[in-house]
Amino acid sequence: MRERLIAGIALAVAVAALLVASLSAQAPAGDAKGKGKGGAAKGGNVGLYQRQPPTPTGPAPKLADGTPDLSGVWLGGGASDADISRSLKPGDSVVMLPWAEALVKTRQSKDDPESNCLPSGIPRGSPYPWRIAQTPGIYFIVFEGNIHSWRQIFMDGRKHPEDPELAWYGNSIGRWDGQTWVIDTIGFKDKFWFDYVGHPHTEKLHTTERYTRTDMGNLSIEVTIDDPGAYAKPFTTVGRARIMAGTELLEYICQEDNFDLQHISGPAQGPGGATR
Amino acid sequence: MRVIVSVLTAGLGILALGLPVMAHHSGAAVFDNTKKIDLTGVVTKVEWVNPHAHFYIDVKDAAGKVTNWNLELASPSILVRNGWKRNSVKEGDMVTVTGSRARDNSNFGIAQTIVFPDGHKLNFLSAFEDGK
Repeated sequence: MRERLIAGIALAVAVAALLVASLSAQAPAGDAKGKGKGGAAKGGNVGLYQRQPPTPTGPAPKLADGTPDLSGVWLGGGASDADISRSLKPGDSVVMLPWAEALVKTRQSKDDPESNCLPSGIPRGSPYPWRIAQTPGIYFIVFEGNIHSWRQIFMDGRKHPEDPELAWYGNSIGRWDGQTWVIDTIGFKDKFWFDYVGHPHTEKLHTTERYTRTDMGNLSIEVTIDDPGAYAKPFTTVGRARIMAGTELLEYICQEDNFDLQHISGPAQGPGGATR
Repeated sequence: MRVIVSVLTAGLGILALGLPVMAHHSGAAVFDNTKKIDLTGVVTKVEWVNPHAHFYIDVKDAAGKVTNWNLELASPSILVRNGWKRNSVKEGDMVTVTGSRARDNSNFGIAQTIVFPDGHKLNFLSAFEDGK
């Protein structure tokens, strides 16, 4: 009887642990929330990473010229990589045009560009950290995964080209709106999926990203997605990232040996198997 | 009871509906959580590669027939941040692996826990036995 009671308690704790893990998987990509009372501010789990040092505290830093300093290694992203509709600003909704709705229902996991070691696009995140590097006139976002890639954001006041060369990450120009870094991007190829469930986009996609370092350790991210080719109205996602104080970017060459692609089957689905 | 304890260990932050949070594809699109594996054998090869490290073990059945299994881990970058070394599992090691089998029923699975004869454990993401 006593053993059954202990087993029952153990099972309850296991279920609770699974629930915590499940909820964490539904949070924005690589969500930087720590686990347990006090969260990661005391160190501990950050996304998939354990025993991480405490998040630095204090006010958001600035560069010598007063510009907000966003440089550093971050973990997190602008939207859930499982299903972008889980990350919407309150009151927003994702309304696909009929062709897009039909397409999502037929998409297969094996065809997800991400599974094929192709770029994740915007604002799809990943469990891997990334770095912002600010240089005069041009900022870079350097991704560890998925995939080992980079974006360049022109900060010299230029406009978009009239007919930009289409690209997976589009053509990005940036500016400061007070303490918020705003990136405007057009000129996308229609290739990447917004998430594992397969939300599509077209070459008409126009994204507006807003990054605000709210304090030393945290970055709020809002991304407005305007694609009249696939969606009935624009929508905005809300996400966040946290500084990864104890790590540098490591190499992640997804194309090295993507052996399990041949084993992927079934409809496009999130980490827990949920489909659209 | 032993089974429940192993579930507890595995449940600490690495599972989503029974399968680990994968890095670049849905775990459920590759592995079937209802097809549990519990394999003991000798490591024949370790591939410390992206997007997933993996290793092979020879498993001998009661009739003496040997089957080689391919067992998947997270990426090296995730593993090393969580205490793994590239030689944490090496050729010749005897290991017991529990996890889930591929949906396509091939001899391929996800190594959710790896237990060595001296009792120390590793998991799909981490070398920290307490999962913290």
